[in-house]
Amino acid sequence: MRRWFSLDHKIIGLQYAVTSMVFLLVGFSLMMLLRWQLAYPKQPIPLIGALLGSRNVTNGIMLPEFYNQLGAMHGTIMIFLGVVPLSVGGFGNYLVPLQVGAADMAFPRLNMLSYWIYLAGGVVMLASFFVPGGAPNSGWTSYPPLADIATAGQTFWLIGMVFLITSSLLGSINIIVTILQLRAPGMTFMRLPFLVWAQLVTAFLLLLAFPPLESAALMQLMDRLAGTSFFLPSGLVVGQKAAAAAGGGNPLLWQHLFWFLAHPEVYVLILPAMGIVAEVIANNIRKPLWGYRLMVWSAMFLGFMSMLVWAHHMFLTGMGTTMSAFFQTTTMIISIPSVIILTSLLMSLWGGSIRFTTPMLFALAFLPMFGLGGLTGLPLGLAASDIHLHDTYYVVGHFHYIVAPGTIFALFAGVYYWFPKVTGRMMDDRLGRLHFIGSFICMNAVFMPMFIQGLAGLNRRLYDGGITYAHAHGLQKWNVMQGWAAWTLGLVQILFIVNVVVSVRRGAPASDNPWDATTLDWATATPPPHGNFAALPTVYRGAYEYSVPGSARDFMPQHEA
Amino acid sequence: MIGIPYTVERRPDTGVNNVKLGVWLFLASEVMLFGGLFSAYFMLRAGALDRWRPLTSHATTAVLNTVLLLGGSAALSIAVRMARARRIAAYRGWMAAATVLPLLFLPVKALEYADLARLHVYPSSGTQWATYYLLTGVHALHVLAGVIVSAALLATSGATWMGDAPRAINRVEAAALYWYFVDVIWLLLFVLLYVS
Repeated sequence: MRRWFSLDHKIIGLQYAVTSMVFLLVGFSLMMLLRWQLAYPKQPIPLIGALLGSRNVTNGIMLPEFYNQLGAMHGTIMIFLGVVPLSVGGFGNYLVPLQVGAADMAFPRLNMLSYWIYLAGGVVMLASFFVPGGAPNSGWTSYPPLADIATAGQTFWLIGMVFLITSSLLGSINIIVTILQLRAPGMTFMRLPFLVWAQLVTAFLLLLAFPPLESAALMQLMDRLAGTSFFLPSGLVVGQKAAAAAGGGNPLLWQHLFWFLAHPEVYVLILPAMGIVAEVIANNIRKPLWGYRLMVWSAMFLGFMSMLVWAHHMFLTGMGTTMSAFFQTTTMIISIPSVIILTSLLMSLWGGSIRFTTPMLFALAFLPMFGLGGLTGLPLGLAASDIHLHDTYYVVGHFHYIVAPGTIFALFAGVYYWFPKVTGRMMDDRLGRLHFIGSFICMNAVFMPMFIQGLAGLNRRLYDGGITYAHAHGLQKWNVMQGWAAWTLGLVQILFIVNVVVSVRRGAPASDNPWDATTLDWATATPPPHGNFAALPTVYRGAYEYSVPGSARDFMPQHEA
Repeated sequence: MIGIPYTVERRPDTGVNNVKLGVWLFLASEVMLFGGLFSAYFMLRAGALDRWRPLTSHATTAVLNTVLLLGGSAALSIAVRMARARRIAAYRGWMAAATVLPLLFLPVKALEYADLARLHVYPSSGTQWATYYLLTGVHALHVLAGVIVSAALLATSGATWMGDAPRAINRVEAAALYWYFVDVIWLLLFVLLYVS
């Protein structure tokens, strides 16, 4: 019992990390299924087709309803149950108290509660597959009126979201208070590792941007259960029958409240990843980060601006040119701090004596991958080009470059980098390199063609991959290639799973500071005991004092006088 | 259990303790929650074809509820002073008032709902009523949560007061922050739903 309901931030962080990685695998598996339907429309799914249930497949062929469920749940699971819990709940929980030099989180009980509420939310989401009508099928954005009249799974989605929002509220309060209040003596703000700064800004975004979605979720719940019409306009006709609701509602209200969360959410996905990449790069170039202060201020500005760009997802709602102009401008402005952070990381490489370790490979790959994702976003942030590209595969390619070969590569870098601290054993380097090369090739093979498909006008969310449309006929070959790349990507991940499972037991033993790192997480025993430090550390210097001239070693730990 | 510093005593460079900072952050997120609800109210009201009329017919229950909530918070602020002065008997008396008065808010609210239901006014009757039930319902849940917290503080044993008074005082002060926020939300609701 005490093991499961531990109050130790490291145990809770591991619980978060393991659970969210399982969810990542589940979300990815849904996509591998969906890719079959896109690559070979209306052909029976081989091997497992018969196991999916008569409600979802007929003669092994995927039904459109099931396709919609897979799409909606892939997005929901990957974002809300996979990437965010891994980067904030997992890495944030485990590393923030260590890196600021604290014994634990400020509120250990709330921390434990946060994990269990998250798990409950995840179980509710997965349970939706087994209710009449199956899982939510209105896309991960749950736009009404469609979502208001969707099958029972949507109610599960809303209840699950309320759980997840509550969990992230508890987690974000904990992280903010821990960083502000529990810094070790001498740990001034400008001595904090960049990862801690990234987590701080992220926690503020979770704290402030999630509640409006909670209010929207309550309204959609009432629309579905209490017969209200928050999002149902007057005169709505469904299936050639007038809807039973009173009407007078506004579907755009949902979009505003949803994107007020979901745009900051993009930065919740990317900031912790940037934090991890900054740590890994600083350690593997053996010199200070270029422009640390600039990066910190950029992260703060990024967090602030991310609350002012949400309507760039809504250029096609007819909101008028004045509104469009405002949100185009803020969107162009917000690209500046992202570019500053990325450029700083790139400049840091100059003149470094780079160690190409496995975590460093993933961190280096993050830079161009995130860069591609970010730059392809600019045409989407301008209304004139967005009108052409909106809702095409170009959009899907854009945001996947940010979160898949972007954030997920950073998370892999983090796993390889901190694995020795957490377990006391190194991960296998050769398997790690194979995992990296395979993932890098497959990810690009999946997502690069999406830009071609999107520019050719192929809409996303098409059940048959577009073959019923004449303009998309020439694009089917890309769907086939993406399918095989996605399945190969799945095979490559087996290398990672094997590496983790074997290294936990048989990996080469790691010392307390195997990477010769400077930050406080490496200033304690491996694995760190309950309470983290034998004696509270005092901090004497900045986070990245590598290769200090005149020093005997090429690194100066923060806690050494 | 490892001792976490600054739970009760202030951290010199930030000027707050963990509990107060945590409650302030929680209230910030609550502002955003109600901000979402209020913006829905304004967007739907601005776009409504029919004119939304204030609920003057139920002004009596609304005024009574305002008195109950504000009276409870007044009692609570005295209870905070008594707690700081470590006058435990007086603290218990005022804290009891601060628990019971907001508790009475809930049955009064229920009477109002029952009365509206008698008039066949339900959440499904139109967006004005949907927002009315949603806003007052979420607020009433906050009152209920506050009553539970106050009751728990009232039940704080004498031994705790003797053993660790600063910790107990800190909890009362933190609860008071929350209650004042619930009051402010109610005053906004009062103006929006019953007056304007």
